[in-house]
Amino acid sequence: MSDHTVRAYDKELEDLGRKIAEMGGISEKMLSDAMDALANLDTDLAHTVVATDMRLDLLQRDIEEHAVLTIARRQPMALDLREIIAAIRISGDLERVGDLAKNIAKRAIKLSAEPRFPRALVGLKSMHEAAATLLKDALDAYAQRDPERARIVWSRDVELDALEDSVFRDLLTFMMEDPRNISFCAHLLFISKNIERIGDHSTNIAETVVYLVTGESMPTDRPKGSSTISSAPQPTI
Amino acid sequence: MNSMTPVGIDLRAKISVKNLKFFYGQNQVLKNINMPLFANKVTALIGPSGCGKSTFLRVLNRMYDLYPRQHAEGEVLLDGENILDPKQDLNLLRARVGMVFQKPTPFPMSIYENIAFGIRLYEKLPKSELDGRVETALKGAALWDEVKQKLNASGLSLSGGQQQRLCIARTVAIKPEVILFDEPCSALDPISTAKVEELIDELKNSYTIAIVTHNMQQAARVSEFAAFMYLGELVEFSGTSQLFTSPEQKQTLNYITGRFG
Repeated sequence: MSDHTVRAYDKELEDLGRKIAEMGGISEKMLSDAMDALANLDTDLAHTVVATDMRLDLLQRDIEEHAVLTIARRQPMALDLREIIAAIRISGDLERVGDLAKNIAKRAIKLSAEPRFPRALVGLKSMHEAAATLLKDALDAYAQRDPERARIVWSRDVELDALEDSVFRDLLTFMMEDPRNISFCAHLLFISKNIERIGDHSTNIAETVVYLVTGESMPTDRPKGSSTISSAPQPTI
Repeated sequence: MNSMTPVGIDLRAKISVKNLKFFYGQNQVLKNINMPLFANKVTALIGPSGCGKSTFLRVLNRMYDLYPRQHAEGEVLLDGENILDPKQDLNLLRARVGMVFQKPTPFPMSIYENIAFGIRLYEKLPKSELDGRVETALKGAALWDEVKQKLNASGLSLSGGQQQRLCIARTVAIKPEVILFDEPCSALDPISTAKVEELIDELKNSYTIAIVTHNMQQAARVSEFAAFMYLGELVEFSGTSQLFTSPEQKQTLNYITGRFG
């Protein structure tokens, strides 16, 4: 794409892209740090994650203001308008990813006081790996303006959904085995939900990338894993 | 035309332009233009200066006939009749296809006479009926309330925005079928511009409208169809939402996003 006649306009759009990249980096780091804090019951690291979230919130606000100003100033059309709308949407998704990572970190702090139960963390680790890959690929698709890569992310979220189902069943089993596991596993259930939500935000980002590059919206019916969560055996109390 | 083109139930071409070429002397400025102007729709013409959009507009009511050594080839069918036919009655044509120019051009006479003058050229009406026609025209141009107390004041005493609406009233008064706007708002402030745009929105219920504008946002706001012209050629013609969101041609995209040249 050639440059705008008004060069300041190009710079404004580049700045938006750069800030999204920064948000992406921060949210990825927050997620991996939160999961490390959980695995190692490292409360210091968990507190760092909680504190970092502020930076993400500020960046998101900054992007929104920047985007609104650019719309007011330049009256963008077509691709440029989509560029700005995409920045607003993606910054919203990344801000939520940060919130979810922060929530995981807070739970890691609480869990540090609970009796340990390492076997329950195995499934979460796989979920984290899958979600981190989705997020990374979605951010790469954005950086490279690559709709094909984005479409792959979009179709692969189903794997994360399947993992969540299996983690749910495992945790349920652990809780039924021994009521002393319930508190620990209940926290992990919420964490698995958080990770699953991060996958959803990654697919949102992927959808936005497709829209940004092609101007087309993805179909509303994204492939979903057959959820067994609702049909799982209910513990009798 | 694709799925984003607005399709009305009665999308009928009021004007069909076929293989239109236009020359200033030896210099060809329109190259084989083919496009429709749909009835009761607003069609915007956009493109950089000198791309031929105003020339195109001037062909549609043969304004160019006023100047020597200009000629057009091809066909411009108004309700199926070729208006480029030398036998075409030009006065009748210009009554059917009215035009509003960039700068307001009121006659140096009263507000009332500015409107009545044109009507008298085509019709002999009793005074009472003429009064009614003047009022209807001024109401049609959303100017009536502002001037009804001073119909005998000079048209030149009005503000720029009012003068432009007076010119629109003058055009509307002789009951044309098509109205051509050549950058009607470029000399107006934002409020007057908004009033003219509101007016265009109303007028399309009764008329077929073509508008040349350099203001891309205005084109996007007022029109249903849009044509992008460049160097005398029609690069792209499609529904306005299509043209301004995902144009098919790279040149169109570059122009509307401000990446030209």
